[in-house]
Amino acid sequence: MIKKTISWIDERFPLTAFVKHELTGYPTPRNLSYWWNFGFLAGFVLVLQIATGIFLAMHYKADSGLAFDSIQHIMRDVNYGWLLRYLHSTGSSAFFVVIYVHMARTLYYGSYRKPRELLWWTGQLLLLLLMAISFMGYLLPWGQMSYWGAEVITNLFRATPFIGDKVVIWLRGDFSVGDATLTRFFALHFLFPFIILGAVVIHLVALHTVRSSNPSGINLADKDNIPFHPYFTIKDMYGLGVYLIIFFAFVFFFPHFFIEPNNNIPANPMQTPPHIEPEWYFLPFYAILRSVPDLVGGVVAMGLSVMIFAAMPYMDRSNIPGGAHYRPWYRVMFYVFIIDIFVLGYVGSQPVSPDMIILGRAASLVYFGTFLVLPFMSKKEEQWMRARGLPPALKALFEPRAPREHETQGGNSK
Amino acid sequence: MSGSDTIDNPDRRNFLGKITTAAGVTGAAAACWPFVSSMNPSTDVLAKATTEVDISSIPPGGEHTVAWQGKPVFIVHRTPEQIKAMESKETTIDPEADDKRVVKPEWLVVVGICTHLGCVPNRDPEGGWLCPCHGSMYDASGRVIRGPAPRNLEVPVYHFESDTKIIIGKKI
Amino acid sequence: MKKILPILLACVALSAYGEEARLDKSPIPTDNASIQRGAEEVITVCSGCHGLKYIKYRNLLSLGFAKDKVDGWRGSNSMNASLPPQMPGNIAKASFGVEPPDLSLMAAAREGGGHYIYTYLTGYHMEDGKLTNSVFPVTRMPDILGLSGTTDPQKRAAIEKTAKDVTAFLVWAADPHAQERRHMGYYVLAFVFVMTILLRLWKKQIWRDIDSLPKIE
Repeated sequence: MIKKTISWIDERFPLTAFVKHELTGYPTPRNLSYWWNFGFLAGFVLVLQIATGIFLAMHYKADSGLAFDSIQHIMRDVNYGWLLRYLHSTGSSAFFVVIYVHMARTLYYGSYRKPRELLWWTGQLLLLLLMAISFMGYLLPWGQMSYWGAEVITNLFRATPFIGDKVVIWLRGDFSVGDATLTRFFALHFLFPFIILGAVVIHLVALHTVRSSNPSGINLADKDNIPFHPYFTIKDMYGLGVYLIIFFAFVFFFPHFFIEPNNNIPANPMQTPPHIEPEWYFLPFYAILRSVPDLVGGVVAMGLSVMIFAAMPYMDRSNIPGGAHYRPWYRVMFYVFIIDIFVLGYVGSQPVSPDMIILGRAASLVYFGTFLVLPFMSKKEEQWMRARGLPPALKALFEPRAPREHETQGGNSK
Repeated sequence: MSGSDTIDNPDRRNFLGKITTAAGVTGAAAACWPFVSSMNPSTDVLAKATTEVDISSIPPGGEHTVAWQGKPVFIVHRTPEQIKAMESKETTIDPEADDKRVVKPEWLVVVGICTHLGCVPNRDPEGGWLCPCHGSMYDASGRVIRGPAPRNLEVPVYHFESDTKIIIGKKI
Repeated sequence: MKKILPILLACVALSAYGEEARLDKSPIPTDNASIQRGAEEVITVCSGCHGLKYIKYRNLLSLGFAKDKVDGWRGSNSMNASLPPQMPGNIAKASFGVEPPDLSLMAAAREGGGHYIYTYLTGYHMEDGKLTNSVFPVTRMPDILGLSGTTDPQKRAAIEKTAKDVTAFLVWAADPHAQERRHMGYYVLAFVFVMTILLRLWKKQIWRDIDSLPKIE
């Protein structure tokens, strides 16, 4: 019966062909590590955020006089409202953990390099959308941190040349963050996740065109690719299980870990809390913003710190394929970058002080430095590696030989 | 059978696979429940499922309308003449004895929504109701005596917490 | 550049002294009896000045109080009404200079939660002849529990117990579903744990052939 239905559909729609080609039979390198689970995890978190978000939206009131109360109504009166809320608030932080690890994997293994530039750039777009969604979502509870975070960040748009003040008022719909801001942020916060869904589809189409990279950075022979199902379906499920243990531990036992105490106080436009800070996932960029004493300079630096990732495919000028796997200098630079991000995050969480200013500026210089040094370092590293003699796997790539099937599909052999 | 599941040779006796799938599907189904449940009335809505009414201020022959679950409810303090008239009369559209429609004969409690298409009927001089929308008429027991309404006015669950207090929405 | 490391270390060390005052970290009771005692204290004493906007009278029934008791507290207020302050806000503001804050979310709105509240309630003491509070020196609230004026150790212990009960109630008030949440959490985590073990075993089973192939460098 089911078989008959499916063949009826297949005559009219490429269902079986699509599933076989893109899902079940899709060739995947057999040496992928667990660092490759995080794309799937990001998709899972997205679906859970949309589901919890829609059900929360059934009870939330996007009105400055009602918003805070409606959250309490959800927490206290709505059946399992507390669960929906904590899933959504924890999920927001979880989303950034997953995405940052996903990005780190891509940087470490050089998965952004030719021919995966579009894959990297669609990912960049997804990151920007995610940042916008979480910024707007944070205003919705209308707590003290919600309000003042929005007030400070919308103020940054004052940096726009000539029309800065008008842009800020236009964004807010009012002279300071108010009811108009809240309603539009709610509308856009509801809309953007569906734009993300579309961008994820594009991201996956790009992926399926160039196929996954793998830890070695060298494209594997056909015989070393295995079908996505059942190997990676079960591996993704297992990874999901591990993720859920950690996720649910936070949701059920430490839900307040990610909720600022100040946000349990209704927004008061007349009184700024003594210590404003954004959510943890924005802290490194916040630190870079504060490192420049000039408003426009700070905004430019912060914007650059997010957008500079897009330049990576062109910054890495080595002919050695892949990322840190075969390249020791690249590996060191990666770890320096990661440590630096944590330092920046710490600086962003602390009040401004002379010591923090020095530390923040030093860390910001290191941040941009790693990108700017990469073009020179990558070339020097290649020379150094060739002088010492390449490992056999790499030597084989550069030796002239008859082109094989799927040769043009990737790798960096020139 | 080696027990390893490959695409060409599914291991039919794969107990591990079966139990894992079963557990997973059960978990996923259970996870849906909070979402579904959150759409049911919240505790504050349920708290308004009952309405307390103080009936001490309604004189004989008088009537009071209260809100219950968002609907109007007519509370009538019937006179002995009205009670006698209702007990002896039989209606034909939706036959029902008067004593089946009251807990205490001198108090009539009915939902004030016409059983035709939902308008709120108006009180008429005889102690019954006349619906302004399509002309249905109800007697002093809330029974329909002229259509197009098909049924008598609904009697909600209620009980007397005391001689002066009615709780609408709960039987006891 | 050499300055960075000592600065880094100093920052880490200094951040350990986060709050101005150290909080009393002794455990806040979560048992129903303590919460009930705290509720009585808050409703009969604290609600003289403080309201609890997000606690309705009917919520008190879930703590196990009899309906008659709650009816006695609420007077002519409906069961669905919030717990109001007895002193109107503007009069309190005139007397104390500031409107007494609502207490429904107080345990969530302060760093340290219940520990903050307990340390605050027991933090009143005399300093240079003036009454002050160790966690919130500029508070306008008087020492209602009277700890600052009590020297008898037994009486002090009784006041501290009352403060614990009040804190227990306020912690409940800020998060009434906490117990249900944790209870559900044990079951969910147990399930996910078992599920993950099953998935790991099945994954190993499916991958057996591939894992026995020579590793790719």
